Amino acid sequence: MMAGERNPASCYLDERTFRLCCQLFLQHSETIQDGWSWEQIKGTDEGFIKKTLLIPIKSSISHQQLGCSIQDENMAADDIQANVEDETAGVQAVCEIHAVLRYEYHVLYSCSYQIPVLYFRASTLDGRPLSLEEVWSYVHPNYRQRLQQGPWDTLTQQEHPLLGQAFFMLHPCRTEEFMKPALELAQAENKKVNYIVTWLSVVGPVVGLDVPLSYSTEVSAPD
Amino acid sequence: MSDNAESPTENQKDDPSIQHTTTEQSGSSDEKKKIDVLLKAVGDTPIMKTKKWSVEKGRTVQSLSQFISRFLKMDPSEQLFIYVNQSFAPSPDQEVGVLFECFGSDGKLVLHYCKSQAWG
Repeated sequence: MMAGERNPASCYLDERTFRLCCQLFLQHSETIQDGWSWEQIKGTDEGFIKKTLLIPIKSSISHQQLGCSIQDENMAADDIQANVEDETAGVQAVCEIHAVLRYEYHVLYSCSYQIPVLYFRASTLDGRPLSLEEVWSYVHPNYRQRLQQGPWDTLTQQEHPLLGQAFFMLHPCRTEEFMKPALELAQAENKKVNYIVTWLSVVGPVVGLDVPLSYSTEVSAPD
Repeated sequence: MSDNAESPTENQKDDPSIQHTTTEQSGSSDEKKKIDVLLKAVGDTPIMKTKKWSVEKGRTVQSLSQFISRFLKMDPSEQLFIYVNQSFAPSPDQEVGVLFECFGSDGKLVLHYCKSQAWG
C-alpha cells in the first residue's frame, strides 16, 4: 500500500480487537477507580465489561431526570439517600430526590453485528426491576425525542446472551451513524481510536452512564 | 456583536450566551466567562455559515447541540452528534468550559458535529 492510500475506517470490529480495547479501557478505569470490571465466561475466551451505578432521580417541575451517579455500592441505602441529598442541595435547590436507582451496565460483543452492544438492567434499591416505560422515561432528554421516533428499534428488553437474564438493550443497528464520523475524523489526523472509548462515550450518556473525559486522552488503541 | 457574519436573529434572542465572535472580540474574555468554540461539520452534515461562536463556559453540550440543531433546522427525527478531540463524544451534561480547559488550543475549542440520517 502506498503512503497516503487508506482504506475507509471500518465501523466494525472483530472479537479480538474488542477484547484488546476492553483491556486498555479497563486499565484506565482502574487508574481512576471508575468501577469497571471484566467478567469472563467460564471455559471460554468470551467475556464482557460491566459497571454498576447508583443514580438518584432528580425531579424538577418539568420532568424527572437521572442525577449524578454514585459509584460506591458499599454504602447503606440510608447513607446514600442522605449523602445524595447533601450533595444536590448545593447544586440545585429546587430538586428533590425521589429515589435512587441501581443501573448495571454490560458491554458485550455481538458476533452477528460485529460491534459492541450495551445491555443494562435497572432496579430500585429494594430490588424492584424498572419497567420498560420507566427506563424510557429516564433516557437523557438530549436523545429522548429522537429515540421515541422509533422505540421498537432502539431500547428494548432482551435476554442477556451470556447470562440468560432479562436486560434492556440499546439496539446496535445505528452504530455506524455515530462511529463512522468519529473514525474518519481520527483517521484524517492519523490517529488511532479505541473503539470502546469512542462508542461508549456516545451510547453511555443516553442511559445514564457518563464516560470521564480522561478516557479520551489516556486510553490507547490496540496495535 | 458582529457585522461580518450572518446570524439568525431568533437564535440570538433565545441564546444570548451563544454569540458569534468578531475579530475584535477573539480570545476568551474572563469578565464575560466565555470561550471561543469552532464548529466543524463532518461528512455530509450541513456546514454552518457561522463557525466561530463565543459561548458561556457554563453552557452544556446539550444546550449547544440544541442550538446547532435549530440553526440547521433539523427534523426531530434527526440526531446531532458532537465530538471533541476528533473521536470522543462529551456527555450532554458536560460544560463547554471544562472541554475548553481539557481540549482547547490556540484560544479555541474545536468541536466536530455530525447529523444522523432521518428515521425511516
